[in-house]
Amino acid sequence: MNSRSAGLGDLTVATVAGGVLVLVGNLVADFTAFEWTLWAIQVILALSLVLVWGYCGIFSFGQAAVYGIGGYTYGVFALNIAERTGETLSALVVAAVAGAIFAAALGYFMFYGNLSNVYVAIATLATALVLFAIVNSTAGSAYRIGDAVLGGYNGMTRIPRITYRWPGGDPATLTRVQFFAVCTCVALVLALALRFAGRRPFGRVAAAVRENETRSSLLGYDVRRHKLWVFTLGGAIAGLAGGLYAAWGRFMSPTVFSLKPAALVVIWTLVGGRFSVGGAFVGVVVVEGLSSALGGPSGDREAIVVGALLILIVLGLRGGVIPTLGRLWRDRLRPAVAAADPGSSFRRKPESRPGRDRLEPADAVSVISSDHGSDAQLGGDFEEAVALGIDTDIDAPVEAAGAGALLEVRGVSKRFGGVTALADVTLQFAARQASCIIGPNGAGKSTLFGLLTGHHPVTAGSILLNGEDITRLGPHRRARLGLGIKMQVPSVYGALTTLENLWLAAYAACGDREAAHRRAGQILARLGLTGAVTSPAGSLAHGQLQWLEIGMVLATEPSVILLDEPTAGMTRDETEQTEQLIARLAGHATVVVVEHDMEFVRRLDAPITVLHMGELFTQGSFDELSRDERVLNIYLGRGAEQPGGTGQPAGRGDAEPG
Amino acid sequence: MTADGVFNAWFSLMTTVSVLLLVSLGLAVVFGLRRVINLAHGEFIMFGAFATLTATRAGVGLWGAILIAVAVTAAFGLVVELTLIRHLYERPADTMLATWGLSLILVQLADLIYGSVTEGIPTPLSSFGVGDYSMSTYNLVLIGVAWTLAALTWLVMRRTRYGLLTRAAAQNPDMAAGLGVNTRRVATWTFAYGAGLAGAAGAVLAPVVGVIPTMGQLYVARSFMAVIVGGPAFLAGTVGASTALGTVENLVSRGYTPVIGQAMLLVAAIVILRFLPQGLTGGRRRGGLV
Repeated sequence: MNSRSAGLGDLTVATVAGGVLVLVGNLVADFTAFEWTLWAIQVILALSLVLVWGYCGIFSFGQAAVYGIGGYTYGVFALNIAERTGETLSALVVAAVAGAIFAAALGYFMFYGNLSNVYVAIATLATALVLFAIVNSTAGSAYRIGDAVLGGYNGMTRIPRITYRWPGGDPATLTRVQFFAVCTCVALVLALALRFAGRRPFGRVAAAVRENETRSSLLGYDVRRHKLWVFTLGGAIAGLAGGLYAAWGRFMSPTVFSLKPAALVVIWTLVGGRFSVGGAFVGVVVVEGLSSALGGPSGDREAIVVGALLILIVLGLRGGVIPTLGRLWRDRLRPAVAAADPGSSFRRKPESRPGRDRLEPADAVSVISSDHGSDAQLGGDFEEAVALGIDTDIDAPVEAAGAGALLEVRGVSKRFGGVTALADVTLQFAARQASCIIGPNGAGKSTLFGLLTGHHPVTAGSILLNGEDITRLGPHRRARLGLGIKMQVPSVYGALTTLENLWLAAYAACGDREAAHRRAGQILARLGLTGAVTSPAGSLAHGQLQWLEIGMVLATEPSVILLDEPTAGMTRDETEQTEQLIARLAGHATVVVVEHDMEFVRRLDAPITVLHMGELFTQGSFDELSRDERVLNIYLGRGAEQPGGTGQPAGRGDAEPG
Repeated sequence: MTADGVFNAWFSLMTTVSVLLLVSLGLAVVFGLRRVINLAHGEFIMFGAFATLTATRAGVGLWGAILIAVAVTAAFGLVVELTLIRHLYERPADTMLATWGLSLILVQLADLIYGSVTEGIPTPLSSFGVGDYSMSTYNLVLIGVAWTLAALTWLVMRRTRYGLLTRAAAQNPDMAAGLGVNTRRVATWTFAYGAGLAGAAGAVLAPVVGVIPTMGQLYVARSFMAVIVGGPAFLAGTVGASTALGTVENLVSRGYTPVIGQAMLLVAAIVILRFLPQGLTGGRRRGGLV
């Protein structure tokens, strides 16, 4: 099954579901259809959170607030235009636009202020509460926009229904049954669109941002902009839902900005599984059904039900009610298959650390590709690559790197508070050549690396890449100019498959879906990770993880490659192969290696820069340096070991200063 | 402006700042030391206020009732930590969701028990005059309690064995545990202490605000903003942020309306975070918050 047939499958399901629902809507009592309409509207709202939180990992508690903005906007606009134009559809469009603008403004401050995810949650919630206070206080006839009276805590009343008018015809208002059909169709169309987007680069990059922001920006993705786009789109959907809600109830009250509606959206999404588009439908129906069944006659225990559900989900049913049930069902059904998993060469992933809000692998795969279709497609490309006889040997020349570029550091200093971590360092890394940076702990290696990657801003000095000043550029801009970075601790998308990892890297560079598929398949073959196409990267052994990350760097076709301790945690064999790989890379690109392993440095036989106490200490070849008393003194301790020390004189884990 | 006018403005400003500090302290302790994002923080304040209300109805004097309320809220915090929070350390998103659930339940329970409207506690003490202005003496109590609690927390953190263990456990839990610190117990007491501070805020505010089930919503957003804008050095940061944000709120409220004042507090907080993502004290100690 490929992504096209997966799309067709979705379309079929949606069409059948839509047909059945509309038909049933025609058969049931008017009032029942009216009630169901609210559920359809709530599904649309839940879908906005699936997009924002499920796809992109933006932990927004503000979807209900944007929904409120949409509702009030529809109310104000419809009250003003309904008499004149005889239609209110345009008010619905304005509601969606208002939601988008509001989300964009809020998102700009949150994402460009680099608020971490949890802070985003608090900021969105706080925004909702402030809106609650503001709208609540707009009682009285002074607060009116045109014909629309905001109404404060009394709410805005007499909001027009959805009215339309064909050109030249008379205005017509949607009946309850028609309105139900419209809302259902909107929900289904949006669900289809989200499923489709999840398989497209847009959705894949969103998943990349969700899984590992650092890696995404190091690959060249503009994380903040992508989050802003997703959040804005989510705002448009929530705003549209709000407009429909205002037209449904013909009433808006400030309570839409209070805590309970904000919580409800999250709970619908959680119950259905936040990664699942279909889950939005199930979540709304289950939660609304439950709270009306258990909430007491006047709904006064509803909040208790909702709160208890939240706690239960968090404590017991991580990943959502429906996905948990699904997992239980699968485990019952196929224990034998799981036992016979041929992944013996890969270390099983240790139980995912509690908390880090990470996904179960199964969930992750289902998010990025929504089904196995595109995996199979990616796999197909890979098989094709193998069938074409591409050498899977890691020693094969890697044509990855683009033209070698010169990396230059001019008079760079870095201070953390009062601590000078790097003082006036000037370095040049020759084009198409490997260089090593060594130095004892605290020498400033990691700081220098952080400045080169754009992780820290420099205090003074400048950094040039191929003559271009990149001192003030963020990591993703540097990546786009040809800087490829491998971190000390492997930074990959642990929950995505190996192939998806490589695809994301290749797509960052080429921007073409098919070309990225091919390139990912090639690199995968070269790295010898062929057995791990569809296993989550998090289940790879440490050495393989290092290679995968190097492979991702190669896939971006960098002209300068920075490697922070590339052989950390590798076996002797793997280390040797990595050496060869780096030596070959150096024929095409500028390679800068920060390393502790002296044996590795010796064999790489590249020019070495020694840092000490944040200053450039000396430079030279390995042989020169191993005869240099001063280097031996600072590096090995006075007369402690024989020259050319074979082990690792300094411990691993170069602690960051500060 | 006359001297008495200046004093009046300053007194009003101090009151706003102190109330913000008061409602933020408990959150600052729990978030600053344990990284627990307690969305039920507002409901702990509400809990303290209702405990005070209940005690005064039972015939206890106000000052006694406040002490009882602090103890009861701290005990409640202890229970919440043992049953809920302790399973969720290192899981910030889940902690938020669970405490949010707790918040919804507490509001609804308070509503079922006390109803949505309650008669308040009469504000004790009278007023004092400065020139042409008359000011509430009780506001002096609010200001005093807020700064006393901040100073007390500073002393506890800096001068006691518990404070040392808590800070050790907060900075490096594994190392602290390796040195024999019972980090779980430290965490439990820290949460209870934070809950007690929230209870104290609710208790001393009870005579001057409407004691209603949804009162927590009034404070939760503001206190989060104060703590986040404060940054990593949680106590100094919260004091600084309360002063900055409280000043904005007070000045805007006087110029326009209290609602606009609250909104501007949020806007100021978000703008500050846009340019100081680590908060006011972020430059002091590097390292991510959550």
